[in-house]
Amino acid sequence: MSEPILELRGINKSFGPVHVLHDIDLVVNPGEVTALVGDNGAGKSTLVKCIAGIHPTDSGEVLFNGQPVQIRGPRDAADLGIEVVYQDLALADNLDIVQNMFLGRERTKAGLLDETDMEQAARKTLASLSVRTVKSVRTQVSSLSGGQRQTVAIAKAVLWNSKVVLLDEPTAALGVAQTRQVLDLVRRLAEQGLGVVLISHNMNDVFEVADRIACLYLGRMAAVVSSKEVTHGQVVELITAGRSGDLGIARPEAATI
Amino acid sequence: MTGPTSGTRPDEIRRHNRTALLRRLHVDGPSTRASLAAELGLNRSTIKALVDGLAEAGVVAERVPALRSGAGRPSLLVLPQPQAAVVIAIDVRVEHVAMGFVGLGGEILGRDSWNLHRTRDPGEVITHIVESARLMADDLDADAVGVGVSVPGVVRRADGHVHEAPNLHWTDVALGKRLEAVLKLPVQVGNDAELGALAEHVRGAAQASSDMVYISADVGVGGGVILSGQPLRGTGGYVGELGHMVVNPRGNRCYCGCDGCWETEVGEPALCRALGLPDDAPRGTVVAALRALDDPSVLDEFAGWLALGLANIVNVLGPELVVLGDLYTALPDAVVDSVSTAVQRRSLVSRAVGGTQVVTSPLGRDAKLVGAAELAFEPVLETL
Repeated sequence: MSEPILELRGINKSFGPVHVLHDIDLVVNPGEVTALVGDNGAGKSTLVKCIAGIHPTDSGEVLFNGQPVQIRGPRDAADLGIEVVYQDLALADNLDIVQNMFLGRERTKAGLLDETDMEQAARKTLASLSVRTVKSVRTQVSSLSGGQRQTVAIAKAVLWNSKVVLLDEPTAALGVAQTRQVLDLVRRLAEQGLGVVLISHNMNDVFEVADRIACLYLGRMAAVVSSKEVTHGQVVELITAGRSGDLGIARPEAATI
Repeated sequence: MTGPTSGTRPDEIRRHNRTALLRRLHVDGPSTRASLAAELGLNRSTIKALVDGLAEAGVVAERVPALRSGAGRPSLLVLPQPQAAVVIAIDVRVEHVAMGFVGLGGEILGRDSWNLHRTRDPGEVITHIVESARLMADDLDADAVGVGVSVPGVVRRADGHVHEAPNLHWTDVALGKRLEAVLKLPVQVGNDAELGALAEHVRGAAQASSDMVYISADVGVGGGVILSGQPLRGTGGYVGELGHMVVNPRGNRCYCGCDGCWETEVGEPALCRALGLPDDAPRGTVVAALRALDDPSVLDEFAGWLALGLANIVNVLGPELVVLGDLYTALPDAVVDSVSTAVQRRSLVSRAVGGTQVVTSPLGRDAKLVGAAELAFEPVLETL
């Protein structure tokens, strides 16, 4: 039986008087796409930022591979093998694909940058994802389309041998066709055995790739359901009302931020 | 076709040569004019005339090679232009559908895929395919010239009629005709394992083998056979149900009506059971569990059934190479090696031919997609 790769237990987070995350439990299994859905302000991005080490948590436990860990900053997360891909295409426009993929973690040989090695690694990673849409790994990122950029950002996450990839609305800035390309890539990441968390507002996207859907409602985990067993309508109800039939939190009307 | 008594006209020869040259470029990628002349056994001036004609039509481009070898004027490199002929490849699976736009030379220009969790209704699948095809065609600014579809079921090649695809719950779906009607393109439909074999033969592990068997496990197990360089199809093209070879008469009931089909012992549910996962675990979970496997001995029984079935297949068909595809590509190397050794030890034919090789597919999950693209390209290359 495969163990969860990442497990959150009772995560709480407040920004001053605003209690953003209430006792969040979440399990990320290797090889599965877990979609994280919720209304604006439900705490999706905050939760991802807590996992990525950008925000410290107030209380709660994080287990990685069954071991309790402390994530104090983005570097801790990266060292564990947790990578984040953001919606706003967080790549440096003036650098090429290789430079972006190794930004801040350049490989060196005898004190100099080992360009050949980095270029080969970048090419190999893109090929392993069967990404053949970029002509050369030395193309400047500014000349790539939105979909290609997001592909590079995801490939960057894979290059570092990561075990968990968190995607914060990776398709929000993309057109329909490019969104599909990225979702296809998301599926293939999971099929390679990585744990994938996908934040999305688009129910179609969610149902097209996700194995499980985690619904946040006002900072509480309303329900985690298998995407095979629920309908669009039920997920929308969980997002907007925190409850759908037997699913969801017991007394959503009592929930406050 | 020319009969045995009629002669061949020069334009027919020319067309034949042009197709041969295109196929060579499509399969093996960019080559110099000199190497094309040598490999096709044609005159240099013939090659020049053919390449010039193709270049004028925009099908190939020529470039001075970056790396020079030897003295003298370098031979020009001929590159197939992916945009010159684009086909739509569709891989219908039990759990999801993957599709791609594939250019001349085999480059995948764009992709899409979606889950089939909610509905596997053929009408809905066709609608989604058509919608995706339009989106991708717009995005890539490419007009497709053919369509290839891989289906895990029994397919009539002549018109793409799907008789039975049990794991999809499809019976008698006129997939080829329905897709042709909406996409307005020639559509070819093939059995998934047969197309996997084609892909391995053209672009994968079996490029150098003229006798090979491709075995793939998704939810079911299927096989594709290439003998003497030609696919083995049988009456109506229905060969391929190697997964329904009965290996264990006291085994589990299979949906096909038999007890103890090979598929029930070596399919994805059987592997899930061996790994202690639920039968319907998503593919990624199975792959992750295989990767994290500390003790490969839990797979001993599974590997035993795999070797037993493969030994039967090798004895009957006598391939020089067996390629294990799809889910099997995630098996630990030690397991594949032990299966390979067991087959070589048990199979009479394997011993006679000096050891049939059992390897995993380098194409992995994409084998059937690549195969579907090659199926679509076959008629296209002749008319380009």
